[in-house]
Amino acid sequence: MSALAVVVAMALSALLIATTGGSPLDSLNAIIQGSVGSPAAWTTTLLNATPLLVVAAGACISSRSGIFNIGQEGQVLIGAMAATAVSLRLALVGPALLVLGMFAAAVAGGVWASLSAVMHRLRGVNIVVSTLLMTFVAQQLISYAVNTPWLLQATRIGSTAPPPESNQIPVGAQLGSIGHYPQLQLNLGLFLALVLTVVVAVAMARTRWGFELKMMGLNPLTAQHAGVRVSRLGAVALGLSGAFAGIAGAVLIASPVGNFRLQPGVSSNFGWDGLLVALVARNRPIVAVPFAVLFGILRSGGNFVAATGVPSFLVDVVKGLLVLAFVAPPALADMLQRRAATAKAARSASTRSADLEGVAA
Amino acid sequence: MDPAGGAASALQLLGITKSYGSVVACDAVDLAINKGEIHGLLGENGAGKSTLMKILLGLVHRDAGSIVYGGKPVEINTPQVAAALGLGMVHQHFSLIEPLRVWENVILGDVGRIDRLAACRQVEEVGLRYGLPINPMARVEQLSAGERQRVELIKCLRRDPAVLILDEPTSVLTQAESAELFSVLRRVVQEENRAVILISHKLAEITAATDRVTVLSKGRVVFQSATGDTTATELARQMVGREVSLRAEAAALGVLPVEQYRVELASAEQVESASPDRPAALRLRELEVDVGGVAVVKRLSLDVRAGEIVGLYGVEGNGQSTLGDVLSGLVQPTSGSIELGGVPVELNRPGALQRAGLGIVPEDRHRCGVVLDMSVAENLSLKALGDIGGRHLLSRRKMHAVARRLVAEFNIVAPSLDAPVRSVSGGNQQRLVVARELSANPTVLVAAQPTRGLDVAAIEDMYLRLREAASSGVAVLLISTELEEVMELCSRVAVISSGRITGVLSIVEATAERLGMLVGGMAA
Ligand SMILES: Nc1ncnc2c1ncn2[C@@H]1O[C@H](COP(=O)(O)OP(=O)(O)OP(=O)(O)O)[C@@H](O)[C@H]1O
Ligand SMILES: [Mg+2]
Repeated sequence: MSALAVVVAMALSALLIATTGGSPLDSLNAIIQGSVGSPAAWTTTLLNATPLLVVAAGACISSRSGIFNIGQEGQVLIGAMAATAVSLRLALVGPALLVLGMFAAAVAGGVWASLSAVMHRLRGVNIVVSTLLMTFVAQQLISYAVNTPWLLQATRIGSTAPPPESNQIPVGAQLGSIGHYPQLQLNLGLFLALVLTVVVAVAMARTRWGFELKMMGLNPLTAQHAGVRVSRLGAVALGLSGAFAGIAGAVLIASPVGNFRLQPGVSSNFGWDGLLVALVARNRPIVAVPFAVLFGILRSGGNFVAATGVPSFLVDVVKGLLVLAFVAPPALADMLQRRAATAKAARSASTRSADLEGVAA
Repeated sequence: MDPAGGAASALQLLGITKSYGSVVACDAVDLAINKGEIHGLLGENGAGKSTLMKILLGLVHRDAGSIVYGGKPVEINTPQVAAALGLGMVHQHFSLIEPLRVWENVILGDVGRIDRLAACRQVEEVGLRYGLPINPMARVEQLSAGERQRVELIKCLRRDPAVLILDEPTSVLTQAESAELFSVLRRVVQEENRAVILISHKLAEITAATDRVTVLSKGRVVFQSATGDTTATELARQMVGREVSLRAEAAALGVLPVEQYRVELASAEQVESASPDRPAALRLRELEVDVGGVAVVKRLSLDVRAGEIVGLYGVEGNGQSTLGDVLSGLVQPTSGSIELGGVPVELNRPGALQRAGLGIVPEDRHRCGVVLDMSVAENLSLKALGDIGGRHLLSRRKMHAVARRLVAEFNIVAPSLDAPVRSVSGGNQQRLVVARELSANPTVLVAAQPTRGLDVAAIEDMYLRLREAASSGVAVLLISTELEEVMELCSRVAVISSGRITGVLSIVEATAERLGMLVGGMAA
């Protein structure tokens, strides 16, 4: 069923590309060439997959506890801002700066998400809504920061006004590559993402904390009865998912994807897509790994599609179709079956009511 | 249309088979339901009753067999088909949405415009017609189990089903409510020529209310008879495959005259004299609980000493559920205290009651007793995670070892230890909760309606366990709406009415009349 849905999604995408005047085959070729066709392409793909995976791992935590944080996009931005601030302002040697930047990003993202928990606690504000709205606040905040000279705006050179972005962070605060393969660079961030994912997977499957998290997500009353502080655990889960998004923001800034500087659009939907990765992986961190790579492929390959004369936003449509293909089949199967059955019942019911009238008379 | 003389069959099940892995839930079941009859369906926990009915309702898909309805073979793949055919079912477990109001729950699943007034009127009409009074504007979360059951019934009855399936409808009703329901059913069946399938573990109900009866055992039909030609004892034997003491069961089901064993008890065991001067193991002191601004429990004080079983008896909806929630750690009392072994429990700390040695079998196991989508093994361990691992890590191996031991000790029938609790039969879910609570070696055990949904043999077993627990020094508080159950098990009975205790009687003083007066809120 899932396979079928993916095929349908592909077919639909092909049709869409064809009707907008492009060639589906060329597009497919462009995507493949641009994402996995060469070591350099792989490099870009994995660089893109990295923040997605970090966001997804965090989203798994909050969703498992039954709390839906959908504000990762904003938390990524806040994390990116914190990492940039630390990297630019503190005069530390390389690795320490990097570690501190990551740490600051985690704290900032976590606190940002926790604000929603606080609002929920104090005023009963719905968490889904508040995390979403906080994303827009975050966007404004970043925009303000990079437009304000005494905050993070780039230093003025000569008399021209500096662009709305920060300075580049020092090389010491950037994530380097490991190993030397011709053309292929494996960024340190990827390993960080994988380690974090494994840690989350183990914590959820093997620890007492993970057990309580799962219990709370499936039946909060039983969890409370069993001695779990549900409101606290929920706040922790929300904060952690925010912290992961924050780390993703720091990874963005410290890797070539984010150009090593804070810009208003630096999060470029990594938050949203990371959330989608978790959704498609049904909150299983390890399963999120291949899906993060798949989304990375679409991102890196998508940039090449434009070259074939197809509007690049179509890549987003394809992405959407793929998500639907993975998420929709169970719901769809159910619905189709129900449809067919009701239709059949309606037919036999008309004969039956005749029977019943006979009985009643 | 005389039910006894071979009436036209409304519904026939032929060779219905369903297995879950190696478990055969239904094994070539043949069953014919006639128009104008109430058909009783009996069987041990896990015999396959609910599964069979879910197949009929299109909720579960059979492996083999066919269904003939109104003389024609039908395919029932979904509940919508079943509803269109005129099959309605009230499930063993509630399927109501708690934050919604009664009328909203009732019309849930309808299509078209929503008309609140019409819906409310309909709820009232149906309620009136079938003797199921309920306020359509009430929120379901504030209703007692008995009231929720009424909502479920109304939801089903308003569609005028030709075949009505009731899966243990009375396990949460009082006797008076049950009697009322049966007279309604009888009228419906006779006047409107419908058919009713009634699943129940209460033999007294089956013998009193049904026309024919079928006994399932391990998925097979083992016995079928006109109700008039059989007896409760015979049915119990057919069900369990051996003789059972109907006394325990009779107590839970309310078929033996009360006075009779009150005298027996008084002369036989003088339990209450066992520990008069030791401090109470459980002491409720001036408990006051508000729910949504309404005082539900009022200045409730009660002592339970080690080694005794105290009954808290009263009609459903008089504060017992809320008291149960307090003892489960779900609700904080507005004032008052709970002491275990003389030490006040800090109720605002999660799990404090449990750490202090209180075990509880909650009234509604799905709500706060189990996590349906977690496995049997996980559910057996969820209150004692410390036992299956260290401070942080959990050991799957230990968890399975604990589960294997408890499943064997408490005769829990489950497809496997890793199967979700959702797939375990209702009675076995109850055993699971009891197993978990008793295995924690509590000093105080609170059992709220513990025999709800248990079969005859399991009730016997439950009583034995409660008595054993008491005789090994556990203080047992039995919250029950069944007079006979309280009389059978307890040495003292406290009566609760409108959230307060109207009197505490020793079992020797407790007569049906005195208890009746206390239940009505009068001092006796
Ligand atoms: N979804 C499922 N997956 C696996 N096994 C199942 C599932 N549903 C039911 N079973 C098994 O089928 C058997 C019959 O269950 P069923 O719920 O029909 O029993 P029952 O007669 O209604 O019992 P009770 O009186 O306890 O409610 C049980 O052994 C149960 O474990
Ligand atoms: Mg059942």
